[in-house]
Amino acid sequence: MAFNPLEQTGIPVDAQFRNWAELNVTPFEKYDVDPYTRTRVILMNGIEVESILFSHQFARHTDNPELKRALATGRRSEAQQQKAVNGLNPGDQTPLETTLGYEQVAVDLTAWLARHEPDPMLKQALDFALLEDFDHLYRYANLYELLYGGKAAAITQHLTEVMPGRPTMLEHRHPYDDVRPHFETHAVDPLSRLHVMTIVAGEQQTMNFYMNHGTDWIEPVARGLYAEIALIEEQHVTHYESLLDPLDSWIANWVFHEYNEVYLYWSMHQQESDRRIKAIWELNCDMEIGQLQVACDFMRRYEGRDPAELLPPALPDEPVTFEPNKDYVRQVLADQIDLRTDGTEYVRVDDLPGDHRYFAYQATVNEGGAPSEQIIDQARTDGGEYRDQTEGDHPVADLRPQQAT
Amino acid sequence: MATLTPTAATGACSKPQEMTYVDPARTMRPDEDEAFLANTGLNGPFVADLLSDMLAHERCGAHLYRSVTDRTNNPVLKQRYAHFGAETTRHVEVLESLIAELGGDAGYVSPAARATEKAGIGLLESTFLLAGSVDLLTQELVMLDAVLLAEAKDHANWSCLAGMVDDLPTGDVRDSLEAAVDEVEVQEDEHLRWAQDMRCRMISLQATSGPTSSLALKAEELIARIKGLFD
Repeated sequence: MAFNPLEQTGIPVDAQFRNWAELNVTPFEKYDVDPYTRTRVILMNGIEVESILFSHQFARHTDNPELKRALATGRRSEAQQQKAVNGLNPGDQTPLETTLGYEQVAVDLTAWLARHEPDPMLKQALDFALLEDFDHLYRYANLYELLYGGKAAAITQHLTEVMPGRPTMLEHRHPYDDVRPHFETHAVDPLSRLHVMTIVAGEQQTMNFYMNHGTDWIEPVARGLYAEIALIEEQHVTHYESLLDPLDSWIANWVFHEYNEVYLYWSMHQQESDRRIKAIWELNCDMEIGQLQVACDFMRRYEGRDPAELLPPALPDEPVTFEPNKDYVRQVLADQIDLRTDGTEYVRVDDLPGDHRYFAYQATVNEGGAPSEQIIDQARTDGGEYRDQTEGDHPVADLRPQQAT
Repeated sequence: MATLTPTAATGACSKPQEMTYVDPARTMRPDEDEAFLANTGLNGPFVADLLSDMLAHERCGAHLYRSVTDRTNNPVLKQRYAHFGAETTRHVEVLESLIAELGGDAGYVSPAARATEKAGIGLLESTFLLAGSVDLLTQELVMLDAVLLAEAKDHANWSCLAGMVDDLPTGDVRDSLEAAVDEVEVQEDEHLRWAQDMRCRMISLQATSGPTSSLALKAEELIARIKGLFD
């Protein structure tokens, strides 16, 4: 049945504040949890962080007291939601294990969005970065085994394969080549807008996590790997945020943020297997509806616009779903492994001229070697690299296992 | 009924530019673009972009009037904003019908329309984003300023269109444009004249009302003063 958030009342924002005990939630068990519950927690934490950062930015561009107070109130609730969601991660889940969860999010969220994306250019943008995040999972999985003897499949539960994607060392691009054209806000499919907002928030959270956790390690190769991949995540944020049309007003962006949060909590609620956590998604969905109503009221009052003018009549029929995407990822690997960017275009690496800035940038940052390769070299000399290929040989012959030399 | 915010659901389409990507399914195709007003002696693609630009301006105007009608504390201004807002919404309908009559697509959002909309958003945001550092009386003037600026461009748009009509040969295209201009231009004259006069009047009233600082007044006193401004 069609679900239109504009027809719901949700929980009024001024009734959303909770006490410390309510916010200090009981974490899940790291080995017993459904891996896709972990990915839902990671995604929704990133969504909340984006909503908080957006609200702060908006607040810095206005001194309208009514607006600032409403933003501050909604933001406080969002900040409480973020604590309650992120608090589900257990203390015995190490930063590296959480990292494996982040990359599982990146792979299976990106692949699912790409599979359901109606716009060919946006689908291409998702496919392009998918192969890079897929590679990160492989590099971190090898770090996990090297440092702790751990198997990444203990976290991913074989739902997501672990093997090379577009090699991280080759993902470093000149900044000009991460800037993409944006969709047109009037003509864009409403589902595409939600997809882009979701992936921007997810990648931004991944960037922030690696920015802050890269120094948790003593081992230089671990610190180096986090630094290297954090910079790719920054590239991904540039890549994805470019897709958003800068034409929309501050208030329209506020409405879109709240609407997307409703869609995502509604989505997470549909598929959650853990009853306790399912109740959190339901509660947060009701809260987001209340926050959406406030943003809509401001749109009516200050922009003279009925939100129904620009929002779809109902949420998309299909919830954003965490599920295996192995066949899809393999197909993209086979088709697009040698893709690069040249300005706003996607091109085969063989079509780039030898003096292209891509190669010059590569020569600068990879001079002296890349940690993402060093970790695999170390793994190969330490009993062999870690992979979890449940569906057979790697679809790209050059990326099949090599012996240590 | 007028479409005030074109979306994919209302059939919006656009034209790709260096940094604007449009889904091929919603792209104004070059052949469609070139077919508009073909064999009329007019530059069809340019006129399509111009009419889309004018439509975007009217749409922003309708939103602006809705917003200031709701927020003004003066009954004279409120009544006039509501009236002009209704006329502006009608202008949206006139332009949508005109574009359709000429064989175009009223859902087309041209690059020029996007730029105009950005200006319209900025104009509207100027009336409320800095409300915390502007007293209530000045806020009334800021809203009226936004109306005046919007009406100045609106008036210029329709004057230009009227000039174009004069240069066209007789025929269906001229008839359609003339009918639209005849309905709207006189109202645009009134909108601009009123906004200019009212702004002048508001400034004069304040300039000659004695040295009482609006900052020294309580909010209720200020609202009462605004309400009775033109009594």
